[in-house]
Amino acid sequence: MTTTTAAPSARATGPSTSGRRRLAPWGFLAPAIVLFVLFLALPIAYAVYLSFRTEKVSGLGLGSGSRTEVWAGLSNYAAALGDPEFLASVGRVALYGLIVVPTMLGLALLFALLLDSRRARTRTFSRTAIFLPYAVPAVISSLLWGFLYLPGVSPFYDLFERFGWDVPSLFEGDLVMFAVANIAVWGGTGFNMIVIYTALKAVPSELYEAAELDGASQVAVALRIKIPIVTPSIIMTAVFSMIATLQVFAEPTTLRPLSNAISTTWTPLMKVYRDAFTRGDLYSAAATSVIIAAATFVLSFGFLRLVQGRAFGQEK
Amino acid sequence: MTTLTSPLPADAPAARSDVRRPTARGRRHWRGAGERPSAVATAVLLLGALYCLLPVVWVVVASTKSGAELFSSFTFAPSTHLADNVADLSAYRDGLFWRWMLNTALYAGVGAVLSTLVSAMAGYGLAKYTFAGKNAVFNVLLAGVLVPAIVLAIPQYLLLAELDLTNTYWSVLLPSIISPYGIYLARIYAAAAVPDEVVEAARTDGASETRTFFQVAVPMLVPGLVTVFLFQFVAIWNNFMLPYIMLGDDKLFPITVGLSGLLNQGASQPAMYTLVITGALLSVVPLVALFFALQRFWQVDLAAGAVKS
Amino acid sequence: MRLTTGTRIAALAAATALLASACSGGGDDAGSGDGGSAAGPVELTFWTWTPNMEKVVDLWNAEHPDITVTVNKQDGGDPAITKLLTAIKAGSGAPDIMQAEYQKIPQLVSSDALADLSGSLGDDVAGHFADGVWDAVTLGSDAVYAVPQDSGPMQFYYRADVFEKLGIDVPTTWDEYADAARKVHEADPKAYLGTFSANDAGWFAGITQQAGASWYGIDGDAWSVDIDSDATTKVAEYWGGLVEEGVIDNKPMYTPEWNAGLNDGTQVGWLSAIWAPGVLSGNAADTAGTWEMAPMPQWDADAPATGAWGGSATAVTSQSEHPEQAAEFVTWLNTDPEAVQALVDETGIYPADVPASTEALSDPPEFFSNQPDFYEVAAQTAQTVQPFTYGPNINVAYSAYNDEFAKATKAKTASAFVDAVGAMQQITLDDLKNQGFSVSE
Repeated sequence: MTTTTAAPSARATGPSTSGRRRLAPWGFLAPAIVLFVLFLALPIAYAVYLSFRTEKVSGLGLGSGSRTEVWAGLSNYAAALGDPEFLASVGRVALYGLIVVPTMLGLALLFALLLDSRRARTRTFSRTAIFLPYAVPAVISSLLWGFLYLPGVSPFYDLFERFGWDVPSLFEGDLVMFAVANIAVWGGTGFNMIVIYTALKAVPSELYEAAELDGASQVAVALRIKIPIVTPSIIMTAVFSMIATLQVFAEPTTLRPLSNAISTTWTPLMKVYRDAFTRGDLYSAAATSVIIAAATFVLSFGFLRLVQGRAFGQEK
Repeated sequence: MTTLTSPLPADAPAARSDVRRPTARGRRHWRGAGERPSAVATAVLLLGALYCLLPVVWVVVASTKSGAELFSSFTFAPSTHLADNVADLSAYRDGLFWRWMLNTALYAGVGAVLSTLVSAMAGYGLAKYTFAGKNAVFNVLLAGVLVPAIVLAIPQYLLLAELDLTNTYWSVLLPSIISPYGIYLARIYAAAAVPDEVVEAARTDGASETRTFFQVAVPMLVPGLVTVFLFQFVAIWNNFMLPYIMLGDDKLFPITVGLSGLLNQGASQPAMYTLVITGALLSVVPLVALFFALQRFWQVDLAAGAVKS
Repeated sequence: MRLTTGTRIAALAAATALLASACSGGGDDAGSGDGGSAAGPVELTFWTWTPNMEKVVDLWNAEHPDITVTVNKQDGGDPAITKLLTAIKAGSGAPDIMQAEYQKIPQLVSSDALADLSGSLGDDVAGHFADGVWDAVTLGSDAVYAVPQDSGPMQFYYRADVFEKLGIDVPTTWDEYADAARKVHEADPKAYLGTFSANDAGWFAGITQQAGASWYGIDGDAWSVDIDSDATTKVAEYWGGLVEEGVIDNKPMYTPEWNAGLNDGTQVGWLSAIWAPGVLSGNAADTAGTWEMAPMPQWDADAPATGAWGGSATAVTSQSEHPEQAAEFVTWLNTDPEAVQALVDETGIYPADVPASTEALSDPPEFFSNQPDFYEVAAQTAQTVQPFTYGPNINVAYSAYNDEFAKATKAKTASAFVDAVGAMQQITLDDLKNQGFSVSE
């Protein structure tokens, strides 16, 4: 890897160059910053503002002007943190994350290594097939899997019946967690596999052909050479997967009408949706979202700190 | 354990060579690459492929069934009503589904192009310059992924209502352009694929920063930008919450919102499962076609191991 | 000079941006409520989820060139209401005319989303509708917030062929229903006379309505919450007992599994409302002609009663800039004989307008061609609908129903069902007080 020698003498074309150069990055960043402020920062600020307010009604509340917005201090936060349903949903989503993230990344890594191994056949077909679920939106994929899970319409349960097995429905009780986790793993593995695979592809083959010549098995090569080199990719993928998993919403919401085991507050984000859209209570929703965002932030950046610095080795 | 006895040449090809190299000890000790296909490896891959394809096969089979057959016949037994279902779907409110398809193509196509441009500029700015506040800007931009769409939806609506833009195409396009993950990818790629020397060379040649970007950096970034484009295209194509909140006129709906409406007709109407399933099948087809078309450009190359000069 | 890749890409981006702005021109026309000036035709938008409503609206547009109504079809139920409330809050984006289910009206009025129509309606409009239905749109006051469109009196739908095969008589009391359920389940352990759905709060509200419950009340200037009344508790205990016994299923309705059950005879009966033929023919078209409808089983055979499930009214929103014209349309849609006939023919709803509906509904629906007196029986049941008051936080009550009864149906014990009712009462009452409403206890 060649390094650049710093070029302090780049003032070849006049005094305005360095001034232009100082402003240039801001110019490139301007559209992103403007859009970010408008569509992310301002709404977030407004949501934070709302989280400190609430709405009070007077009397029967049936006339105009019977609703007023008032300052609520930290009461929305206190209510959210003290809500046993919310705490249960946090625990659930933590467990869900522990199931989904290692499984999904493990499978993605396994498939990526196999795709890279040259000894596996049908690689192009498998690569395309495994990536395909990424094209299916979460609502549709939950519907599809719903059909495959429900005993009345599922081909699997048809099969189980013919064998005489009494397999419990995934929708009763605690097994529903695996039902939802499966949909997430199904949908996300392909994308993560491609991310890791292309990182693997860029590793020059000389690195491990030499190892193979020395007698290392494919598995050893994978474990000792390939994985350590692509670890930064795996780490960043893990972080983004964690963030996405903590925000799980679409799959349980679509499955909820099919099952008695999923409540309307099954995950923290479902509680936000219920507050904002079903109860019309934007204020509690805002407070809960701030809590979720803060927790996600702490977790992801904490995780990154833990595996320090291996992610951005490329820049000066 | 293994030491590399020869330094890698600066222009070592990134692609692997499949050349056999006999060892000094003779060919019978050759550890073959690409020689003996592994049954286990192939089997595992095929198992994964089967698992991923199963629901897709189900959709294909289910969309060949009529409404009555959907709930009464064996799941994987195909029927012959695909053409009828597509006809019914097209007839629904005079071809509204195809309008939804066009809307989705517009939102995703235009949105992804604009988003890629914005992300490329931002990524290039972050990767190729050092300036005060760079890390802060990047971290704040990236923190945008922490906030889920549900939380943003209503405040974004209120903001656009001030500008009188709700219930228009812009209301879905504008918020879709900013993509923190896209900027992240673009930054990584710009750092890896655009060498500083090239940028310096362009500067000493007298090119402005903008010209350097558009005429020197962007051509080198094309493969990565295609990835950013594809990622954002899929994200907008499959987005539900944003258009759901912003749009009241159902002629502006994308497919996700339209199909969800077919499912949620209230208690007193049957959900139109057949239409939804056929519609889902049809909506996946353009995405798959796009994947195949852009396949050779894919490089979601995340920094480590990118040995390029 | 040849365009470089970079310049080409920049040009492409600019072109797409121009394309987008051109297309938005088309989209802007779809805005809401901005009718022409006094000289041009008034343009109104109508948010509804009633299928084929456009065809009915076309009739109006043909006869009223000066007032054009455009239908924007929405998702049914909650989502449309949320969108409306967001638009009301934002000050723009709401339609002129809105379909509003009866149980949502107090919530909408309390959010100042509906305009008062009492000044724009003729005096005779009230007389078209049954008292209970009219109360639901006036909330007992002098204001009129919507005009009733359709109603959903509940009846009992069952597979007549299965009953005949098993020798079961149509149950007229709830005790008889329990016996019938036992017989059905004994004959085939996979079959059930019905299911208790923890996902359909409106259904449960309707069957408690039949027993005499009213979940809310207005005491002068304050609301009262009475979900855990004796009537509701009685109903919950009854169903809990049947689920515990195992003779009634505990799975939600409207799932693919339930649809399959309608088809293959494992769901033998369905307590539903007058719009059931549409759902049955949509989900189980092959079973046409095997179903029949009867009045619901009664708690008291001498005092026939029934509940209501679903049904909506048409309202004018407070954001409409042409409330007079909108009120004119709304009145026409729901009381004009031609419009009501069109509603019956095109949309399949059961109109709430009494005089027009008796005329429009003579033949039974196709799915029930085996029952010629279908609509006579239905009209009789419609007259026995009991009063019921909905409150401004009905969504909280319904959401509590979903969660609490999901737990209870999983537990499958009668006591869990009774506990669920108590929990619903507590959650709803607490929320109402929290929001600041005056509540009398």
